[in-house]
This record gives sequence, C-alpha cells and structure tokens, in this order.
Amino acid sequence: MFSFFLLTGILIISLFFFLLGYNRAKNLINLNQKNLHSLTHYYGIFCSLSALLPTLGVFFIFTICDDLVFAELVKEYIPNEVINSKDYNFTIVLAQINNSVEGLIFGTPPQWITNAAEIWKSWVIKSNILTMIVCAITILTSGFLSYKKIHSEFRSRNAVEKIVMTILAVSSVIAILTTIAIIFSVVFESIRFFALIPYDEFLFGTVWNPQFEGAERAGSGQEGLSQYGAIPLFAGTFLISIIALCVSVPIGLFSAIYLSEYASSKERAFFKPLLEVLAGIPTVVYGFFAALTVAPFLRSSGSMLGLDIASESALAAGLVMGIMIIPFISSLSDDVINAVPQSLRDAGYGLGSTKNETVMKIVLPAALPGVVASIILAVSRAVGETMIVVMAAGLAANLTANPLEAVTTVTSQIVTILVGDQEFESAKTLSAFALALTLIIITLGMNFYALHVVKKYREQYE
Amino acid sequence: MNSKKNDLKSLELTVGDVFSKNARLKARNVNVFYGENKAIDNVTIDIGNKEVISFIGPSGCGKSTFLRCFNRMNDTIDSCVIQGEISIDDENIYDKKIDVVPLRARIGMVFQKPNPFPKSIYDNVAYGPRIHGLSENKEHLDNIVEESLKRAGLWQEVSDRLSSPGTGLSGGQQQRLCIARAIAVSPEVILMDEPCSALDPIATAKIEELIHELGNEYSIVIVTHSMQQAARVSKRTAYFHLGKLIEVGKTKEIFTRPKHNQTEAYISGKIG
Repeated sequence: MFSFFLLTGILIISLFFFLLGYNRAKNLINLNQKNLHSLTHYYGIFCSLSALLPTLGVFFIFTICDDLVFAELVKEYIPNEVINSKDYNFTIVLAQINNSVEGLIFGTPPQWITNAAEIWKSWVIKSNILTMIVCAITILTSGFLSYKKIHSEFRSRNAVEKIVMTILAVSSVIAILTTIAIIFSVVFESIRFFALIPYDEFLFGTVWNPQFEGAERAGSGQEGLSQYGAIPLFAGTFLISIIALCVSVPIGLFSAIYLSEYASSKERAFFKPLLEVLAGIPTVVYGFFAALTVAPFLRSSGSMLGLDIASESALAAGLVMGIMIIPFISSLSDDVINAVPQSLRDAGYGLGSTKNETVMKIVLPAALPGVVASIILAVSRAVGETMIVVMAAGLAANLTANPLEAVTTVTSQIVTILVGDQEFESAKTLSAFALALTLIIITLGMNFYALHVVKKYREQYE
Repeated sequence: MNSKKNDLKSLELTVGDVFSKNARLKARNVNVFYGENKAIDNVTIDIGNKEVISFIGPSGCGKSTFLRCFNRMNDTIDSCVIQGEISIDDENIYDKKIDVVPLRARIGMVFQKPNPFPKSIYDNVAYGPRIHGLSENKEHLDNIVEESLKRAGLWQEVSDRLSSPGTGLSGGQQQRLCIARAIAVSPEVILMDEPCSALDPIATAKIEELIHELGNEYSIVIVTHSMQQAARVSKRTAYFHLGKLIEVGKTKEIFTRPKHNQTEAYISGKIG
C-alpha cells in the first residue's frame, strides 16, 4: 500500500516538473522574442523524465533491498540455542518471522519470534520513511537540476531522444536478462540433479522409472529402485512430433500455396483469418478434443480393422498436435511465398509454364528457406507442447516406435513430476529440471538453426 | 478478322501505315480496361515477320499494357478485360480454344527488370526446354543451352561457370541471361518491356546490339522510354499517347518528319 502511494506521489511530482519545464521554455520564448532549439513540450518532457527515471531507480533498489537487509539483521535476534540446535534452518525461521509480521500466527510461537517480528515491523516503518525521504530528495534535486539546464541554447529535443533510447535499451536488456535468468535457474537445479544421477545414465538410459525416496526406502527389491533414463521420453517426444509434422507440413504448406497463389483476394481475406483462429485455440481445448473425440474414434475404427489401439495413443496426440501447428506453418509459409517477387512468376508465365509449374519449380524453390524455417519453428513448438500430450498420449514411458501405443513426452513428465507434493531434495523432483534443460537446449538449437537457414539463403532473390 | 470497315475506323485515328505486308501478329480494334479504366483505346496494328518495332510514348500511355496483350500476360490481372482481336499467323489468341501455355512459348517475353530465377545459369536457360519437353536427352539440352547463351552473347562470359547462380551475374549479364532463357524455347516473337531501363549505358549498348542481331531471326516488339534507343534498334516505330495509337511509321520518318502534331511534340520534348 505504501509503495503504491509513494509511486503515485512520484508520478504526480514528475508531472508537475513537466509543467515547470514547459512554462520555463514558454517564458524564455517571450523573453528573448525568438524560437528555442526545440518545441516547448520537449522541455517539459525532458524535465519530467529526468526527474522521474532516477527516482524510480532509487525506489526499486530500496524496495528490493530492504527485505534482504532485514533478513541479515534479524539473525541477531535468533537465540543461540535455536541456531545451535540440530534441525535449524534459517529459511524456515525467516518464514516463521515473516508470517508473524503479516499476522499469520499458528498456535503460540516462541517469545523470541514474536519479539523479532515486532522489531521487523519497526524496521519496515523506518525503511519506508527512509525510502520516502530519499525518493523525495532524488526527485527534487534531479528535477531541479534539469530545470536549471533549460536555457535558450539547450537542445532538449536531442536530450529527450537520448533518454528514450536509454529506456528502449533497458527494456531489451530486461527481456534478455530474464531469459538468461530462466536458463540459469534451470541449470543450477540440473547440476544438483546430476550430482545425484550420473549424466550418462540420464542421457543414455532406456528406462524411465522415477520414485520418491520414501518409496525407494520402503520399496521391496528392484521394484522400488528409481531409474532415470531419458531416452524413452525423448523417443516419445520425437514420435509424436513426427506424427504431428506428417499432418501439419502437407496441410499447412498446401493451404499456404492455395492461399497465396490460387485464392482470389476475397477468398484469401476470408480463409486466412479462419486458419489463424486455429492458433488462438488454447492447447487445453485441443487436449480434450484429442482425449475425448479423436482417441475414442481411433480406438473404435482400429478395432474394426482388427488393430489394438490404446485409448491413450501417440497417434491421437500427434494428429491433434499436427492440427494445432498447421497455422504456424501455413501462416509463415504464406508470408515467405508472398515475398517471392512477382517478377519471378511473370518470368515463369512468360516462358509458358502453367500455374502449377510456376509454383513448384520457381516459387517454392525460391521460398524454400523460409518454408524450412517455418517447419523448424513448428517442430520446436511441437516438441515443447505439453497439454495435448498430457491429456492424450498417456504417461507410460514406453520405449516404442509404434504410434498405436501409449507413450510419454519430456514435457508431460515434467508436469507430472512437479504437480502435487514434492520433496525438493529428491532426484525425482530435480529430474524435471534436467529434462527441462535438455529440452531448452534442443529447442534453442532448432530455433538458431532455423534463423541460420533463413539468413543463409535470404539474398538469393534480392 | 473483322470487316474492312472496322479497319478503316481505326485508320481515322492512327496516322501512318498500321498494316504490314507479311504480318505475323495482327491486332484489330483492341480495347483494354482495368476495371472502369480504359487503358487502351481501339488500337489496330500489324507486326511483320522478322521486324523490330518499337513502342514509344510518355509514361502511362499504355504501351506496356498493349505489349502484354500479345502473350496474354494480362490474364494474371483479375480486373483486366480485353476486347477486340489479336492473332498470330491468323489464329486468334483470345479464342476460347487457344491454350495459353504453348502460346507463351511461341511469344517470348523479356521484362523491365532482369528477373533470373534463383537457380544456376544452366538451369535458368534449361527451364523452358525442360517444361516443354524440347530436348531428347541431356546432350541435346546442353546444346540448346549453349546455343541460346551464344545467341544472347553471354556464352563467352559464363561458359566456365554454368552452375553458379544466375542472380550472381551483373545487371546487364542477367538481362542477357533472361534473353537467352526466352530464346531457348525457340519463340517466333520476342516481346521486350523496357529491357534496358535498369541497366547502365555499356550494358544497354550490348543489349541493343543483341536486339539488332536477333532481329534477323525473330519478330521483336520493344517498348522503350528512350527515343534514341528506338531510333537505334527498330525499323518501325509506333507512338502511343493516353491509350491511343497516334502514329506508326518507319523509324526514320517518325523521328525526322512526324505527321501528327502530338508525335512531333513528343519527339521534340514538349510532352512526355
């Protein structure tokens, strides 16, 4: 609540600085009877931005850091006998204190926790006052300094340009840092996993049978022993992706060709958005379409042919996933096919090719890199897809190439491992991160390769 | 073929001799519409056998549109409607029975911007013979490619790198490659739509020389912005203005003694 009021205050004051800068520029014009370097509102924007941005920076540093500082300080208030006791865990103690601060009290906590919470509360008030004062000082000094800068020679338009550029650069840095942070969080947990399970067993083992440690301890003989061979999972992912591609590549590519080469502009305007609606359907919906409609249909039609199709099969999941990624392929391919210059088509027609010959021998080869890239992007989409496989492909880690059996994929295993209660120390939980890391590496590799393919052949017809 | 009366009607509009003794292509009272817009207005003209004729006129006068009527390239534009009659060797090309694909093989086209396919030089030239099945075997195809490149004056420059991409050539070489590609299907007529407008003077000179030589074997219709080019390469010249064919005549006469005052205004640089 405090933060909200403080932020509002900061925004109001920076608006106020906008007016100040604006008026000063107006007055300068009146005084000197000549035009300034920039339009007057640029002086206002300059003033308000240079007051606002440093203050926001200070504000965020203070809000993020105070909890960390308190956590260090509160250690002094933990009695020695607690620290020396056998199952002392600072994180848990800290959580107890925090709960007490927020008024979440279960039973009667020890006296020292209540005391620490009281002290914590007083720190919060002090830090809030401190934050407010520092923010006020920052906003007033930086605003005043920028206000002072405004005189008839000052080029505020260029200064605003620089500030805007900085904002843009910072935004992109934040996006990149987040990606890196995600990867690192996965990497660190994976390292913990590989400390428990050797990586060659993980990468090359052919049996996936994770068990909780409890089950392992209680387990009788081999049954309870965990095995972390990821090959069945990746094989399942691979199998389902292949089925999905068999569906989506022909349909997506052919519909892209139809839309860009054969359809009249009216048909195109009607069909293209319809096709793209497919991309907007949540994957959960595809999931129950696969599990409730496609899988039973496959099962009953399979039994008519004398085939035994499991009620959860790779085929059902792959077919529906293929439908899901059609729009990725068709939309991207349509774009690259449209980007093939009309002059190449004219040349083909001028030599007496039919439309089909022109498309197959001239347009598609010219658009091929883009088409390949769209397929690779679709593959990485298929590999990362979760909901459909969780719902339709089953969870049995069978190492099989038979699409009629139940298989499981990397993503659906991650979901089943991380859903529900877990011990974070166990290899089973950590294995999810190792799987995620492998998956990230594979999809990143494919995306890089797709970009590389596009870049390599881009100049060909330009 | 319409009646003599219709021919006379267009004679009233066009100055000079629109007819040719041994005509290959005949256009009679051709109108072209883009939607509501009339782009070509009642044009009648003959194009003789092994004759180089140039179409000149200010931008937007319809000369390119008219050129594209001869191989029905305008079919690809939805809103385009063509009236009148165009015939090759007295066969109406807009007849419903005519198959447009072999027609375009008989009437080749070279475009304004060099547009080689993103394939090798060899495949560029071999494209036409391949789709029309003109070669019996690989050797024959090699011969066709070599012969076409030689006629287009490109053989010496590219004979050692036939498998490198056609798009890697210079602008002038690319345009000669496009000409080689067009003559590889042995057309009877070659239409050229401002073939030199994207080229530098030296490359232009080479193409012009080439047109001169090809004029001994093919009928060539060339649309050009440059009056000097028309004067250099063609024996006959047709002047278009606002969709109308104003004057046709021997190139020499058009440029020295134009009969129509609009032609004179254009030649002397007053319009255009």
